[in-house]
Amino acid sequence: MRHISINRLAILVACALAAGSLAACGPDITADNPSASGTASEQIDPNKLQAPDASSPSGEITIWDRSGDLFEVFDAVIAKFNEKYPDIVVHHEAVDISAKLQNTLITGTDVPDGVFLDDAYVAGYVEHLWDLSDVLSPYLNDIAKQKVDVNTVGGGIYGVPYDLDPGLLFYNTVAIEAAGIDPASIQTYDDLLAAAKKYQQYRPSAKPIHLEQGAWLGQLQLEMYANQLSTSLADTSGNLRLNTPEYLKILTWLDEVQKQGLGTRAEYLTPSDIGALEAQDEVFYPWAIWFDFAPQQQLPKTSGEWRAMQLPAWDAGGARGGAMGGSSFILPKAGKNSGLAWLFYEFLMFDQVGYTAVYGPNAVYPGGINTSIPAYKLAADPSKPLFQPVEAMGNQDLWTIAVEAGQQIPGGAPIPPWWDGAVEYLGNNVQKMLDGAMTPQQVLDQSAADIQANLIDRQ
Amino acid sequence: MTATAAETARASQAGSMRRWRRSARKWLWPYLFVAPFVAVFVAFSVYPLVFTFRLSFTRWHGTGPAQWVGWDNYGYLLSNPAFWDSLQNSAVLWLLVIPAQMLLALAIALLLNNAALRLRNLYRVAIIVPFVTPLVAVAQIWIVLFDKDYGAINSALGLFGLPEVGWLVTSQWAKPTLALLFIWKTTGFIMIILLSGLQSIDPAYNDAAAIDGAGRLRQVTSITLPLIRRTLMFAVVMQTLAVFQMFTEPYVVTKGGPYSSTTTAGLYLYNHINRADLGTGSANSFLLVVIVMGLSLLFVRLLRPKD
Amino acid sequence: MTTITSAPGTRRAGSQLFLAVVTLAFLAPVAWAVISAFKPPTDIIQRPLDLFSAGFTLENYQHMFEDVPIGQGFLNTAIVLVCKGSITMIGAPLAAYGFAKYRFPGRNLIFAAVLVTLMLPVIVLIIPLLLEMKQLDWVNTYQALILPGSVDAFAIFWMRQVITAVPDEMLEAGRIDGCGEFGLFWRIVMPVIRPGLAGLGVLTIMNIYNDFVWPVVAASSTKMATLQVVLSTLAQNISGHRISADYATVTGELLAASSVALIPLLVLFIALQKHFINGILAGSVKG
Repeated sequence: MRHISINRLAILVACALAAGSLAACGPDITADNPSASGTASEQIDPNKLQAPDASSPSGEITIWDRSGDLFEVFDAVIAKFNEKYPDIVVHHEAVDISAKLQNTLITGTDVPDGVFLDDAYVAGYVEHLWDLSDVLSPYLNDIAKQKVDVNTVGGGIYGVPYDLDPGLLFYNTVAIEAAGIDPASIQTYDDLLAAAKKYQQYRPSAKPIHLEQGAWLGQLQLEMYANQLSTSLADTSGNLRLNTPEYLKILTWLDEVQKQGLGTRAEYLTPSDIGALEAQDEVFYPWAIWFDFAPQQQLPKTSGEWRAMQLPAWDAGGARGGAMGGSSFILPKAGKNSGLAWLFYEFLMFDQVGYTAVYGPNAVYPGGINTSIPAYKLAADPSKPLFQPVEAMGNQDLWTIAVEAGQQIPGGAPIPPWWDGAVEYLGNNVQKMLDGAMTPQQVLDQSAADIQANLIDRQ
Repeated sequence: MTATAAETARASQAGSMRRWRRSARKWLWPYLFVAPFVAVFVAFSVYPLVFTFRLSFTRWHGTGPAQWVGWDNYGYLLSNPAFWDSLQNSAVLWLLVIPAQMLLALAIALLLNNAALRLRNLYRVAIIVPFVTPLVAVAQIWIVLFDKDYGAINSALGLFGLPEVGWLVTSQWAKPTLALLFIWKTTGFIMIILLSGLQSIDPAYNDAAAIDGAGRLRQVTSITLPLIRRTLMFAVVMQTLAVFQMFTEPYVVTKGGPYSSTTTAGLYLYNHINRADLGTGSANSFLLVVIVMGLSLLFVRLLRPKD
Repeated sequence: MTTITSAPGTRRAGSQLFLAVVTLAFLAPVAWAVISAFKPPTDIIQRPLDLFSAGFTLENYQHMFEDVPIGQGFLNTAIVLVCKGSITMIGAPLAAYGFAKYRFPGRNLIFAAVLVTLMLPVIVLIIPLLLEMKQLDWVNTYQALILPGSVDAFAIFWMRQVITAVPDEMLEAGRIDGCGEFGLFWRIVMPVIRPGLAGLGVLTIMNIYNDFVWPVVAASSTKMATLQVVLSTLAQNISGHRISADYATVTGELLAASSVALIPLLVLFIALQKHFINGILAGSVKG
């Protein structure tokens, strides 16, 4: 190494820089012609997907999902799909979507025809995606408004809504009833605070309310609270609307829970969290419906003690539903058989055989998949449960509770493409507030300024 | 005289022809030898670097035409505290890793540099096992082991009556936890490198010192260390490069949290790319390249023997 | 060295204790992972220290083989390993030979390129390299996994140290015997540096086998996924945002998959450890 002169190295770097300034080579970044597939005709907006018109469509599609239980559920539905469309071959792949989707869309090579994606990420990809408003139009009136709204960007709809994830208040009924608390008395968040106090008097070691310690999930939960108040981080035209009385109200409440020592700060279902839940120290869990998985699999000790009710309202008589998370299916324009992929998702979501197979009893979930409810209202019928009462929740009829909570969810706004990036500011600052290092107003001021400067202004 | 002169001239001409032919070949051969490297370097390093450089003056999100913004991306980064924080995080990690790792590796190497040591082979293999394990798996193991309440580490601390530590959930402990992962993963390799330095030392030096009555520690500091100075610096340079390029460890274990305390220079750069902000990402790439090279040159200079 | 052997017994006991503790600390996490893979998933999370009293189960392995294309991953890794490994094992010593035994105009400049490559963070090149692959129409191909970085800079740097130590007289003797320049490399240098090559071999296998960042990006389709890509797909499920309901199950699967991925390398390493260590000893900067 000692033979290398620093000057030589500098020359080399200079050469590279000089070559760069020639700017004559390097991959072409100006060409961008999405291969128009589907059956777009002259008069139709080439960005809007049209359903295939062949009577017996055929071809191959590639579908990406994340690995895990949902993958197995969707995998099992493919056979049912093929009963209806025998000539469509579905290649179903478990993929590290967060690592791969963007790169695949940018290179445009081997782009899948359909991808399972968190709603929070859809807006970030719209330039690569089919506008689905034409194909979805027959169903739009029957899809939960919040789910349509979060997928709507600039008038186009970019995801086939999959699940609606109403927030619910999970509570350990055995524990709180032993403390003399009547669950029905919890109507507002103030009531919840009072109940938590009462429980702590009964059980001094308790910190009864879950306070999320993960920045990302914490921000997701914050949006659930905000959704109840009919607001969200961005308005319909994508402008930031964080510094509002609504957000201040929510943060002040969270701050209060922490200051009064009524909250268990832990990351969602990490061992620490599970320990507190199992010890009956943490007995209130305002969370999306998918928390119900915990009593079913992760809380053997307190399994059976858990129940769910609609979220408390922020003000007496206010909305008791708010969405937390959720996913949709996106169809990239560069997919080879986007039309056929639409047929697949249409079958999964809007065909009774399809959605029954997805949500109803199956090999993976003998009682049906109960970690979310369909966004499609005809499927989410209170009187026709798709999944069975949950044994780990004292055979409570979760279906009815969730569907009714879902009906109360106010409409939303598209989730902005910078939502994920905002976690670095808002999500982190909420945690700092819970650490006692910031006041609610500081969180709003600071986060709003940072999000505007670092994310929105750099779009 | 003239005849012989002409003869010699002719002979030398023929000789130079032969030499020339041979040297022509000689002239070509080394280029052929390095050609495969140069080809790969030009195709897969220079070409993309040039592209990155061009991209760093644009705003581009992966689709549509790129928009020329001049020095805007650089200005944004250099005036952004988050960029400097990412560098600071890497620098702190460097401080946490390098001295501790060098000491540990040196201690082990000194002990293992003894053919008569019992179980020497077992130790040598065992200590290098972490270096062989896939990082993705190790990172996941770390998450489970270092959980605040249920992790094996805190359970073990509890056995000794020590308080539990918020390894991955507090900003003051997250960096040491990552540093531990890095040390655990790579110390075996560094140890072997140092061992190679130690083995090249003539034992006579130490024997002489022992006769002079120098203590063991004195021997190490005044004889061994100066003798393996270059090996040590080589190890330091290698690990410096590795620490400033560190990406996978925080990406899998902490996602850069809590509070961006483990957002290393590499991860901060990745965050731009992941947000499809490719222009800013490219500018960040170039800044990082300049910094890493600057650091390396600094160490190369330090590494030079003072002669 | 002799000073240590003449050390008093207490010091020897101290050394042994220190080394035993270090060894334990270095082996424990791996042992923990391999053993835990046989525990019921929820126990892995909730009772991490309870290694033997928890029930024994093959459930994690069973799930893993059902859910994860690990066979395909092994196959792809093997293909990349053989091709990329061969290129490195020939290309790197060849270039190193050029650098170590010839003086030619531009040598230092080209060797500086080696150092620059060493210093380039992988992550810097990801996007432009990917776009280049797109231009070449190489996305999701073996050549995309094999060629970038195939003549590894570290390997050249390493081999240069080894080859510099080969005495010039040996090469001169070869020239006198009528060996061509390539013949010198192939018939004289390569056999002489065999220990160094063995070390490089193990190091190269390890690097390629454990490579993660580029394969995740370059191989987006399942049919191209290498072993590490398969592992990362599993890990993403856990570390993503933990929304996925089956945290414990996937952790179990990941530990099982990690064990399966680890074992071939571990066996190889233990079998070849002498060559590996001696090889590193041969190539390292000394003094």
